[in-house]
Amino acid sequence: MTTVLAPVAGVAVRLDSVPDPVFSEGLVGPGMAIEPDRAPGRAFSPIAGTIVKLHPHAFVVVGDDGRGVLVHLGIDTVQLRGEGFELLVVEGARVSAGQPVVAWDPAGIEAGGRRPICPVVALDATAGAVTGLAEGVVDAGDRLFEWRDPA
Amino acid sequence: MAERHVTVTSEVGLHARPAATFVQAATKASLDVTIAKGAGSPVNAKSILSVLALDVRRGDVVVIRAEGEGAEELLDRLAGIASAP
Repeated sequence: MTTVLAPVAGVAVRLDSVPDPVFSEGLVGPGMAIEPDRAPGRAFSPIAGTIVKLHPHAFVVVGDDGRGVLVHLGIDTVQLRGEGFELLVVEGARVSAGQPVVAWDPAGIEAGGRRPICPVVALDATAGAVTGLAEGVVDAGDRLFEWRDPA
Repeated sequence: MAERHVTVTSEVGLHARPAATFVQAATKASLDVTIAKGAGSPVNAKSILSVLALDVRRGDVVVIRAEGEGAEELLDRLAGIASAP
């Protein structure tokens, strides 16, 4: 069992409410999303592991068991080409669960006409592998969901 | 072993939407399918984690390989997805 932590503070919502079918239809995997507080803040690693991919608007962290979690900061934020994001670690870095990875400002994303909602996805997981979904207000570092071991 | 060499033209590379579409199409096949970036090591084309970690960008050439019955058709389909703008 992997406990996946909330990378940002806000309100936990179901992945199917994300306005992008890549996430809402579970194309990349099951998980949850967070409607972030509209204040400058940092996105934290949801699990302990290695940052195998680090973009300004998204990152993938893989635990020692090989499980990868994708954190995507906002929708269509790839178009910003890094503007408004500050990387706090380097790609390939080992991080602990809850370590800051990217600094950003959800209000700034929203002011630019994009949704700052943050999908948090268990990559390559089956739909039933994600349980214990958080509900309502979460702080960064709170449990967001559990990723069960295969039966 | 059949293979296709494809230049990725999507502005965001093989990330998010293109990556998910690619992996979904690969996963539907019963054959083993791999994807490599240029001359790099091939990874499982059915794993979104592996494909995202490849970090394929616009202009990169990927090599998609499969073997067995239906491999040519499958590779045509996957090459079409990977090369889509």
